[in-house]
Amino acid sequence: MTTTSREYSYYVEDRTREATDRPRRFLEAFAAVLEHSSYGLALDTYSRLSAKCSRCASTCQLYEVTQEERDIPCNRSELLLRVYRRYFTRSGNFLARLGADFELTDEYIDLMAENYYRCTACRRCKSSCPVGIDHGLVTHLARWLLAEVEVIPKALVVSTREQLEGIGNTSAIPVNALTSTCEFLEEEFEDDYDVKVRFPIDVEGAEHVFFPAVSDYLLEPDTLMGNAAVMAVTGGSWTIGTGNYDGINYGLFYSDRMLERIVKGEATEARRLNAKKILIGECGHATRSAWFVPTFCGPEAPPVVNFMQYTWAQLEAGKIPLKDERIMERVTYHDPCNIARAGKITEEPREIIKTICADFVEMTPNRTENYCCGGGGGTVSIDEIRDFRTKLMGKRKADQVRATGAKYLIAPCANCKKQLREVCEDNGLDDVEVVGLHDLLLKVIDFEPYKKKLAAEEAANEKTTEAEEAE
Amino acid sequence: MEAALELARGPALILAVTFMTLGMIRHVLLTIWESFRIIRRAGDRDIPYRQIWKTTLRWLVPVDKVRNEPVFSSTSIVFHVAILIAPLFLAGHVVLLGGWLGFTWPAIPNILADVLTIVAVLAAVALVVQRLGARATRQLSRRQDYALPLVVAIPYLTGFLVMHPAWNPVSFEAMLFVHVMSANLVFILLPITKLSHALMLPSVQLVSEIGWKFPSESGSRVGAALGKEGEAV
Repeated sequence: MTTTSREYSYYVEDRTREATDRPRRFLEAFAAVLEHSSYGLALDTYSRLSAKCSRCASTCQLYEVTQEERDIPCNRSELLLRVYRRYFTRSGNFLARLGADFELTDEYIDLMAENYYRCTACRRCKSSCPVGIDHGLVTHLARWLLAEVEVIPKALVVSTREQLEGIGNTSAIPVNALTSTCEFLEEEFEDDYDVKVRFPIDVEGAEHVFFPAVSDYLLEPDTLMGNAAVMAVTGGSWTIGTGNYDGINYGLFYSDRMLERIVKGEATEARRLNAKKILIGECGHATRSAWFVPTFCGPEAPPVVNFMQYTWAQLEAGKIPLKDERIMERVTYHDPCNIARAGKITEEPREIIKTICADFVEMTPNRTENYCCGGGGGTVSIDEIRDFRTKLMGKRKADQVRATGAKYLIAPCANCKKQLREVCEDNGLDDVEVVGLHDLLLKVIDFEPYKKKLAAEEAANEKTTEAEEAE
Repeated sequence: MEAALELARGPALILAVTFMTLGMIRHVLLTIWESFRIIRRAGDRDIPYRQIWKTTLRWLVPVDKVRNEPVFSSTSIVFHVAILIAPLFLAGHVVLLGGWLGFTWPAIPNILADVLTIVAVLAAVALVVQRLGARATRQLSRRQDYALPLVVAIPYLTGFLVMHPAWNPVSFEAMLFVHVMSANLVFILLPITKLSHALMLPSVQLVSEIGWKFPSESGSRVGAALGKEGEAV
C-alpha cells in the first residue's frame, strides 16, 4: 500500500502519518455523516447548481492576495463535491461505470487536507454567491471527514484532548489555578480601583454561568475584570463553575462529534449549578458554538447570552454608571465573523463603543461584510502557519486597520485578538493596541455609586450583628 | 425536411418537454421532502425564515449585487432578462403555447422580441468571452461552463433567423428545424445540468441555512456508526 508523504503546512500527530486505508474510511465516514446529519441536501444542491461564476473569488480575502487557483472558494468546495458526486449520486456512479476517471486516493485526501485549512470558514463568500452556496459549510464538513481519517492539525486536537479527557479545558488550567487567578484579579480591583468586586465561584442558582475562552484567564485579565465590573455594578447574578469554565470549542473547526460533546458539557455545567443562562465571554467562536446548545441539548436547554448583549442591555437601561471622561484615543471595531456574519451581534458592541468612546471610526467593509481577522476556523492556534495567517490571510485586515488610523483596535474575541496582535506586528502596525471591549469599558466605569451601596450594606450588616450580639 | 421538422416539433418536442417536466418535478419534490426531513430531525428548529426569504428575494432581483463584479454581473443580469422574456412573450410563441395550454397572455411587440433576442445572443457570447478573459473564471471553469451559454444561445439565434428570412442563409424549414431541435436540447439539459437553477435557485438560501441544523445526536450517531464511541480524542 502506498502512503503519501503526509507533510502539510501545519503540524500533525504521528497517527496522522501512520493512518492506513484512508480513502475507504473517508467514504465510510462520508456515508455515515450523510445518513445521520443534515448535510446531504446542501451537497446535492451545491453539486448540481454550482455556476462557477467567480464572484466568491472577488470577495475572498485570501484569493485577493494570492490569486492562486486553489484559493477560489468555489474551487475549494469542488474538491469535496467531486467526491460526493462520484460516490454518492446515481449519475456519478453511472459515469464511473462508463470510465470517468476520478477516484478518491490518498494523494487526493492530502490535497483536501492542505486546502481546507487554507480557509478560515469566515463565510464571507456566501454573501456574494448568486446561487447561495455556503462554502463555509463545505469547509466545516470536509474538515470533519478529514478528522475521521486522522487529519487534524496538532494544535487543535491536543487542546481538545486536554478539554475532554485531560484537565478539562483547552489551556490546561487546573481549578486551584483558576481560583487563585480570580482571587488575584479581585485584589487588583482593590489595589487599582479601591473597590470590592467578586468573581463568584460555584454559586448554585446564579442566573448566569460564565464561559469565557479559558485563555482569557491567562492572557486577558482586563477583559475579565471588565466583565466582573459590569456584573458588580449592575447587581448581575453570575458564577464561574469549577466543573467547566471553558467556552472554547474546537469541535466547530474540525468535528461535529467534538462540537456535540463540548456543547453538551456546557449545558451539563449550567444544569449542575441550576443556572438559567449560559453567558459567553468575549469570544466569537465560543458564542457561535454555544448557539448549538439547542441543537444538541434540545429547546429546553438554557439560552445563550453573549456578554456584549448583556452589557448593552444594562447600559441602555442606565444601570452602568460612567465617569464623565470618555476614551479620547481613536478606536475602531473588528467584527468577529462567528457572531457578525449572519448579522446576529453587530449593533450592541457599536452602541457600547459610541457611548464610551469619543472618536470611533468604522472599518470598511464592516458588520456582515467584514473581513476575517485571518485566523478564523481555528487557524490562529496553528503557530507554524503564522506567515500565512498574517501576511496572506490577514493582509486585507491590516490594510483596513491602517486606513482607520486607530490607536485601539477592539476585537471582542480571544482568537481574533491573538491573530490581530500578530497581524499588527507583522504588518508594521506597531502603534495599534488590540483590546477587548470590556477592557475599555472598565476604564470609564464609575464605581462610586457601587461603593456607596456596598458601604451601606456593610453598615446595615454591622447594625444587625450588633443587635444580635446585644440580644 | 418536412418530415424531419414534423418529428422535431412533434414527438421530439413532447419527449424533451416531458423529460424536462418530470426531471424538474423530481428535483422539486426531493428538495421539499428532504427539507422537511432535515427540519423534522433537527435539534434546533428555530429557523430564520424571514431572513432566508429576504435573501432569496434579493438574489432573484440582484440589481444591488453587481458592485463586486460590475461587468460580468451586469452582463449576466441582461442575459437572464432577455432569455426569459423573449421566448415567453413572443407573439408567435404565445399563440402556440396558448393553443396547448388553453389560455394566453399578453405578447410583446415583435420588434422588442427581436431586440431582446439579439441581446440574449450577444450577452451569451459576452459571458463566454469574459469567462475566458478573467483570471478567476478561467481558473474555475469546466467545459460545460463555456458550452452551456452558447448552447442556450442557439435557439435564440436560429429563432431570429426564422423570423427574418432576408438574413437566413438556408431554407425556412431547415432553420426552423435547428431552432426547435436546439430548444429541445436545452429542455433536456435543464434538469441534468446547472441549468436546473432556473427552477431550483429559490430553494438554495433555505437549503444552506438548514444544512447547519443538525439532529441532536448527529455527532454521537456518526461516532457509533464508525465504531468510535469509546475512542480517545
